[in-house]
Amino acid sequence: MSQTITIDPVTRLEGHGKISIQLNDQGEVEGAHFHVTQVRGFERFAQGRPFYEMPSLMARVCGICPVSHLIASAKACEAVMSVRIPHTAAQLRRMLNLAQMVQSHALSFFYLASPDLLLGMESDPKMRHILGVVAAKPELGRAGVALRRFGQHIIELLGNKRIHPGWVIPGGVTEPLTSAKRDEILAMIPEAHKNVKLALTAYRQIADGFREEIEVFGNFPSYSMGLINEDGSIEFTDGALRLIDPLGEIVEDGITATRFTEVIGEAVEPYSYTKFPYYKPLGYPEGSYRVGPLARLNIVQSMGTPKADKAFAEFKLLSKGPVESSFYYHHARLVEMIYGIEKIEEILSDPKILDTHVRAAAGVNRFEGAGVAEAPRGTLMHHYKVDENGLITWANLIIATGQNNHAMNKGIFQAARHYIKDGKFTEGILNRVEAVARTFDPCLSCSTHALGQMPLWLELKAADGRVLAEVHR
Amino acid sequence: MHLETKSKLLLACGNPLCGDDGVGWKIAEAAEQDPGFADVKVVVAQQFTPELSELLGEAEVVAFVDASISVEPGVVSSFTVAAAQEVPQALTHHLPPASLLALTGYLYGRIPGRAYAVTVGASSFELSFGVEERLLDGVLSEAVRDAIPAAVALLREIFV
Repeated sequence: MSQTITIDPVTRLEGHGKISIQLNDQGEVEGAHFHVTQVRGFERFAQGRPFYEMPSLMARVCGICPVSHLIASAKACEAVMSVRIPHTAAQLRRMLNLAQMVQSHALSFFYLASPDLLLGMESDPKMRHILGVVAAKPELGRAGVALRRFGQHIIELLGNKRIHPGWVIPGGVTEPLTSAKRDEILAMIPEAHKNVKLALTAYRQIADGFREEIEVFGNFPSYSMGLINEDGSIEFTDGALRLIDPLGEIVEDGITATRFTEVIGEAVEPYSYTKFPYYKPLGYPEGSYRVGPLARLNIVQSMGTPKADKAFAEFKLLSKGPVESSFYYHHARLVEMIYGIEKIEEILSDPKILDTHVRAAAGVNRFEGAGVAEAPRGTLMHHYKVDENGLITWANLIIATGQNNHAMNKGIFQAARHYIKDGKFTEGILNRVEAVARTFDPCLSCSTHALGQMPLWLELKAADGRVLAEVHR
Repeated sequence: MHLETKSKLLLACGNPLCGDDGVGWKIAEAAEQDPGFADVKVVVAQQFTPELSELLGEAEVVAFVDASISVEPGVVSSFTVAAAQEVPQALTHHLPPASLLALTGYLYGRIPGRAYAVTVGASSFELSFGVEERLLDGVLSEAVRDAIPAAVALLREIFV
């Protein structure tokens, strides 16, 4: 008899989602879906707001990566203004975005993924959480807490707030960096390096124990996309996008925010409030691609900083071409954290970093603008249209988690089909299916959007859980 | 961020946009302007997050300041907080003070010698906005606003 296994909610990820696995009469997995079940509608209620309010409004989309939204939004506004921001402002924003990446990756690796990685997929679920990790490996717990605080404190120092800082505005930033703040950040760098090195060492020790998971956790060829500098090094805030094919060949290069929607389309599926972006020339789903740490490391030639380049060289040994298993998102995150810490130190040694000219001013010079930045989870695009008074008439956000949506669903199906046999499964097996989603570190609160008529599935249930009525749209 | 020479810690939490939930922030603001708190590190946050354990690991005395729904609006209370024997199995982004103390003990092998919670009874957590330049400050109910001096006085006694 056919059966549906439901994992609801999926734990240890940002936001609320569920997984459904469909089994046929023989108990074989026929399908699996990752459902994002909430919808927020930010694009809609931005309409009518002045464009210069957008960064602070859009940052509220997410409490985990508000900085990336601030930056992508400010860049879209600057396209409307047709201004180029001062060098120092660009560098300060870059540092802010990297600080966010470090703290978000620390959250993903230490708090969300490490219970599986360090305690085991089959370990006692009562202890399979960060506090279990802390009890078993306190030095790693301390490293995770310290790396979170490292990133959060830089955000707090620069933006005067740890969450939703209002410091990034269209045209630059509101105030320059002081020498006291610069010195305080520099003083934190050595300990941050020490902590991420500890994490990488721990990861190296356990990775070989996950051979089976590496084989079936979203392990397939795919397209990859991310920001890159002209010299082929990784970039999080400026640069242009590159898309590579499953063999690593460049398909599109130098994709600017203005060209984004020429190249990327969006599809919808009835089972999720998250969209499914795809590479337009290939259509959906053939043109689906991955973004985020794994994709970024697959598209670049170098990290551009010494310690990270060493870690990157080790990462590239995993495959002759693009690294395919989504399990390696964890590894890629650690490489990016090394880069983030080094790059922050490099930015702070810029002789112009204390310059007080940090803002360009202008009004509405164009009626449409788009901005791109790399969020911790991948590429983020904000696209706005305004009227002659600068009021938003239309907004669209293409979020990293959405761009990974197809790969996440495919990965969950792959793992479910591998582990569930004859309709039999254990808690540890279902945890592995969830852990596929965790590799992508999806942020569901960001990713919920609707395109066209919003799909809706309404169930009226009795107190005992019986479904009394259903409406599908 | 470290405590440096300050081993007294005031941790206030709440959402200043949600009416009386912002009372912790207001108390922290008042404490920062009070010379009696010169040797106290004051930290405000939306929630008590695991990262605060680093500061707690260095503190000798801590006061957690928050709004409360357990007492009448405007009633100021204080009680000692002991580290939880068991920490929550599901960690999201925040912890109650007792669990945060327990986490601190796990991570750093020590907890503050004295830990207190200071709460103010709240009447409304509805979204609220101030006016003009204080737009994002939120609005406290009268009873809660009037209780701030008493809460600050209580904290002063704790940190003596």
